Parts: sequence; C-alpha cells; structure tokens
Amino acid sequence: MAFSKTLRTKATSSCMKGLTACLIAASVLFSGEQVWSAPADEYQVKAAFLFNFAKFVEWPRNAFSDANAPLVIGVLGQDPFGSYLDNTLQGERVANRPVTLERYRSVAEIKRCHVLFISRSESGRLNQIVNSLRYRGILTVTDGDANQSGVIIRFVSEGNKIRFHIDSDAAKAANLVISSRLLRLG
Amino acid sequence: MTIILLTSSSVLLLTCASFFAYEYFTFKQHIIENLSTLGAITANNSTAALTFNNSEDATEVLGALEAEPHIKLAGLYDQDGKLFAHYPEGLSMDAFPVGPANDGYSLTSGYLSSYQPVVHEHKRLGTLYIKFDTSAMYKRFRSYGYIVAAVVVASLILAFALSNGFQRQISEPIVALTKTAKAVAVDEDYSVRAPNIGTGEFVVLTEAFNQMLTRIHDGNRELRQSEERFRSAMEHSPISMSLIATDGTWLDVNQAKCEMTGYTREEMIGQIFYKIIHPDDLFVNLQHFQRLLDGEIDSYRLEERHLHKSGQVIWVDANVSIVRDDNRMPVYCIAQIQDISHRKRDEELLRNLNAELEQRVQERTHKLKEANKELEAFSYSVSHDLRAPLRAIDGFSRILLEDNADKLDEDGKRVLGVIRSNTQNMGRLIDDLLAFSRLSRKQMEPCLVNMTELASDVFQQVKSSCVDQNIHLNLAPLPNIEGDPALIRQVFVNLLSNAVKYSKTRSESLIDVSARPENGEYVYSIKDNGVGFDMAYSNKLFGVFQRLHSVEQFEGTGVGLAIVQRIVHRHGGRVWANAKIDEGATFHFSLPKESKYESANDE
Repeated sequence: MAFSKTLRTKATSSCMKGLTACLIAASVLFSGEQVWSAPADEYQVKAAFLFNFAKFVEWPRNAFSDANAPLVIGVLGQDPFGSYLDNTLQGERVANRPVTLERYRSVAEIKRCHVLFISRSESGRLNQIVNSLRYRGILTVTDGDANQSGVIIRFVSEGNKIRFHIDSDAAKAANLVISSRLLRLG
Repeated sequence: MTIILLTSSSVLLLTCASFFAYEYFTFKQHIIENLSTLGAITANNSTAALTFNNSEDATEVLGALEAEPHIKLAGLYDQDGKLFAHYPEGLSMDAFPVGPANDGYSLTSGYLSSYQPVVHEHKRLGTLYIKFDTSAMYKRFRSYGYIVAAVVVASLILAFALSNGFQRQISEPIVALTKTAKAVAVDEDYSVRAPNIGTGEFVVLTEAFNQMLTRIHDGNRELRQSEERFRSAMEHSPISMSLIATDGTWLDVNQAKCEMTGYTREEMIGQIFYKIIHPDDLFVNLQHFQRLLDGEIDSYRLEERHLHKSGQVIWVDANVSIVRDDNRMPVYCIAQIQDISHRKRDEELLRNLNAELEQRVQERTHKLKEANKELEAFSYSVSHDLRAPLRAIDGFSRILLEDNADKLDEDGKRVLGVIRSNTQNMGRLIDDLLAFSRLSRKQMEPCLVNMTELASDVFQQVKSSCVDQNIHLNLAPLPNIEGDPALIRQVFVNLLSNAVKYSKTRSESLIDVSARPENGEYVYSIKDNGVGFDMAYSNKLFGVFQRLHSVEQFEGTGVGLAIVQRIVHRHGGRVWANAKIDEGATFHFSLPKESKYESANDE
C-alpha cells in the first residue's frame, strides 16, 4: 500500500506499523493537537499542509459569496484523513474566514469549494475531474504518484519528509495567486 | 598670535567633538533600525519554510544575510524553540544559543544580538536570531579620530603662518602706541606723539590718539592759564576772598582777607573758617554752609559779624558759593567778604533819626489836634456867648425906637437904626461863624449826589429870593459824584448866591454852570458876568472874614467862600477862581471821581 511508503520512519512490518499507530494515538492523547512535536502520521502532516496551503493562496474575489463566507476545504472520494482533517480544522480561521470541511462522493456534489483534496480512489477519473474543475478557482491537491498534469499541488515524499510540487500554470488557469514563499517550496 | 591659534584650534575641536558625539549616539540606533528591517524581511521570507517544515529553504533564506558582512550569526528557531535553520551554513550548532531569548535587542562585548518574532496570519511560527558585529563602529570612530587630528594640526600650522604674517602689520603699531601711552601715563608728558608706522585703521587710530594728546595738552595749558587768571584776580581783588575746603578749613586767602581780619595768610591756611565768625551769627552761617554741601543751594549771602584779631567786631556782607565736580560732589567753596561796618553804622544812624522824627511828628500832630479842638470849642462858645448881649442891644434899641419914638429926634432915630443894623450884621456874622465852626465837627455822610438836579434846585431857591433881578442860568449836564449831599448843596448855595449877588448891577445876570473831567477829578465851574475882582487879591478870596468889596457895595460876612473851601477840602478836592475887574468871575471846584457808588450810578 502506498500508505506505508511515505511514513516518516520507514515501517516495513505490520508489527512496527501497529506500534507506531499506538504511539501516535498515545501522543495525541497526551499532548492534544501538538502534532509537530510528536512523530506524525503521513495524513496527519498532509492534513496540516492542506490547511496551511490556504494561508498562502489568494482566491479571486468571486470565489466567496461575501466577506464572511467560509473557506471550504473539500475531500473528493474516499477520505484518507480519518479524523485528522476534522481535528486540524477545528476552530481555525484563514484570512478571518471560518473554515469548513466538506466531503464529496462525486464532482457533481461540489458547489462552492476552495481547497479540494482528490483522493487516490478517484485516480482513474482524475483527468476528467481536473478538466471539469480547471477554471472554477479551486486549489486542487492530490497525492503525487500520478503524473497527470492539471492538478495544482501534488504531495511527494523526499526521504522521510513530505514535500509538494506546484503547477503554477494550473494555478494561473484556476485564477489563483500563490505566494512566492509557497512557490519557493514547490 | 596665541589668541588666533587658541581660537582656531578650539573651534575645530568643538566641531569635531560634536560630530563625534552625534555619530556615537546615532550609530547604535542606526544599526538597530537596519537590523530590524533586515530581520523583518528575513522572518517574512521564512514563514512558508517554517509552516511546511522545510529547513533547507529556511537555510537558503538565511543565506541571503551574507550581503551584510557585519552579521556574524543568524538562526531560525521553530515554535518549540529548536534551532530550525542557521547561518553561516557550515558553523557548528554550538555557536548558537540553545533556545531563543525574549524578543528585543542587547549589546554585549562588541556584538548586538536581536531576537525577532516570525509571524504569519496572526500566528507565531518561531523566532529569528541575528548577531551583529559592532566592532566596525569603533573602527570607523578611529578613522574619524585620525582625520580630526590631521585637520587640527594642519589648521594650527596654517594659523601660525598667517598670524606670523599679520603680526608685523598689527602688533608693531600697537606696541608703539602702548609705549607712547605708557610714557604719557607715567611721566604725564602730553607732548610726546606716537610714531605712525601702521596701515589702514592703524593710521586712523594713531592719528586719533595723537589728536587726543594734543587736545589734552591744549586743555591743560588753558586750565593752567585759567587757574592763573583766577589766582591773580583773587589775590589782587579789593574784596576779601578765600577758598574753603569742604571740611571748613581755609585752603587759600587773599591779601584783602588778611587786612580785614588782621591775621597773616600762614596763620589762616589750615584753620577752620568759622573761628572768626561772631558766636551769635555762627549758627545761621553753619546751617547755610551745610545746605551748600548737601547740594540744596549753590550759594548763600549773609550779613553777619566777624571778629578782627584785635577782638573788634566787623559787620560784613558774606557771599559763599560752591564749586562741584561732574558728579555734583562739592570740591571747595569760594567766600567773598565785604566790610559793611560803615554802612551798618549809617543805617543805624538813619534808623535812629527816622524814629526820632516820627516821634516828633506824632507829638506835634497830637498837640495841633488839641489846639484845634480847644480853638473850635473856644470860638463856638465865644460866638454863642456873643449872641446874648447882641440880642439884648438889638432888643433894647428896638424898644427904645418903638416906645420912645416921640421923644427922639430924627438924628437919634437914625443913630438907633445904625446901631440895630450893625448889631444884626454882627449877629449874622456870628451865625456864619457858628456854621463854619460846626462844619469841622459835622460827621460826613457820603452818598451818590445828582449834581445837575442839585444845582438846578439850588438855583431856583436863590432866584426866588431875588425876584426883581433878571437872571438867566445856562446849566450843562453835570457828572454825579459821591459826597455828603447837605455839604455839597451848601457849596452850590454859596457859589450861586455869589454869582447872583455880584451880577445884580447888570441888566441881565448870565450864569453858566458846567463840568469837565480832568486827571481823575471832575472840575465844576460857575461863571457869572458880574463885577469880577482883581486877581492880585485872589489869595485872600477863601480866607474867613476876607472881603474884596465893602458891605455897602455888596452885603456879606466873608465867611461863604471859606465854607466852600472847607467843604471841598473835606471831600478831597480843590477850589480856585479866575476873574478880571468888571468882566465877571469863574469859580471852580474839583471833586475826585473815585467812588464806590459810581458803578451803581451807571446801571
């Protein structure tokens, strides 16, 4: 499973995997949300990244219905985050907007969305999905195995670290302005 | 020259010192500002790296700080205080503080350390630490110091060279002027002159100085001459003169003074001046002298007594004046003394004579008044007592004439008639005499008299007693006068009666009454066309019982004009007459205008 490939510590056995899961659970239990201080699960880190991307991106004005409209982070397809994303976004605000989490089973369900994580479960339909969302001002994020163009940010693993690539052409097409500071990292 | 050098070097030093101070105090602030800006940029650039846990990128961001060579260290700490990235890249982690200190700046041992927060979207992501090498500042100050020293030395050399050059032009004339001034001050020799060796203003200065010396020299000569004139004038003055110091001692006296007092000059100089003043006059003199010294008066003049050396008293007229300096402080006094003993003696004599004369006049007047009173009383009683026997003579003569007419012959009757006529005549005489005598005793009761009305009234009265006479009166308006109306009426009665009486020989009596103002008086005139008189006897006209015509010719007692004169005199006026024999007479009397009733009359 790709799930185990991008762990901070390379776990090769299910025993180790179980132990790690136990440790994470304990750390979450004892230290609350301080996910940075404890060894984190891959999707725990990605959940944090997903939320942090929103801080370095500017949406066109018509992306929000009004000044107080919430910033919507969506997950399309099978949700790999578990409760991480819910925990991460709990009570957070970006540019003084509340953040809400939505889960979609299909593209058709997407009404207003600003950051969309496209799950691996949708990789077969990725081209179709990307094409339909290209000009809707949605910051699309996906796990980076697939090499398809059109997704704006792809997570990649470098050593034991989670990195990401940014397709600035796709961002431009979506009419999004990405901070140069974030671009430096892509 | 020292002054020039001192001035230029202190100006330079002051300028450099203030420059230094300014640099020192602004430098730290300047570095902090720079560091703050640089730190803020770096921190901002590090936000994404910290957010996404990308230390390589953070290291790259910090690497940009190499553009500022004085930054020795820079470190980025994450939220947990762990060193996340550092600069320079190769340096060991031990060189950095284990964790970030509080935000802010601290200056220690040649380094400035700063801790600045890294914040994004209101969330603190970490801390940026920068260590700045401040030794550069001191290096810069050292080089400033070298420059200042070089500039000061160069300026001093330049100033020295310049002042050396100027010295010949400036100092030498001043030194020459100083020498001359010293010669003048020490030797009081105002004939020396400063040599004219300078240029420009020095020529003017030296000329002005020499001109001043000339003026002082001339002034001194004039002063000496003036003093000499004064001394000569004083010495040879016939008036006794002396100079008195403010403490009252004689500074100098002249020959006349010595002669007046009997002392020699040597005996007097240095002595107090009031030792020769009579003790009774001393107090007044000292009072004046004190006022003179106090500045209340500038001179005083007294008549007082001095004592001659022999003890003899001399009356003098002393005139003392004071000489003051520019600040009005008294310097000395000048006393001029004149011997007035002779004048004093003459004055005393005259005063005694006057007093004696006055006494005598009073005594005479008193006696005269007494005599006058006695005379009046006598004449009154005589006149009064004379009337009784006269009445008896007249009465018995009448009885004899009436009762014994048949026994008397014509001659007897005639003689008795003569006796009666004479007795009656004598009676009238005595009446007049009594009237005249009463006149001097009568109290005056003055008031405003309407002269025209009075004259007209009197004329009617006189005319009525002479019905057979043809009389014509020409009465001009007469000015009113203040006087006793009864007495003034008597004047008109007497004068108009005379005018009528002495013109009764004429077919028509012409009488003119007029008046004219003259020297504060009114002169009233009564003119007739009667027989007149010889002016040779005019002095007898106004005497008592004096007559120029016989009773047979014109009846009368010779008292009328005397009464007129007495009344007019009592009013302060005069009376006189002009006439020629057979050509009429004019009688004038004057009365003074001055009267408090006059204004009331005008209204």
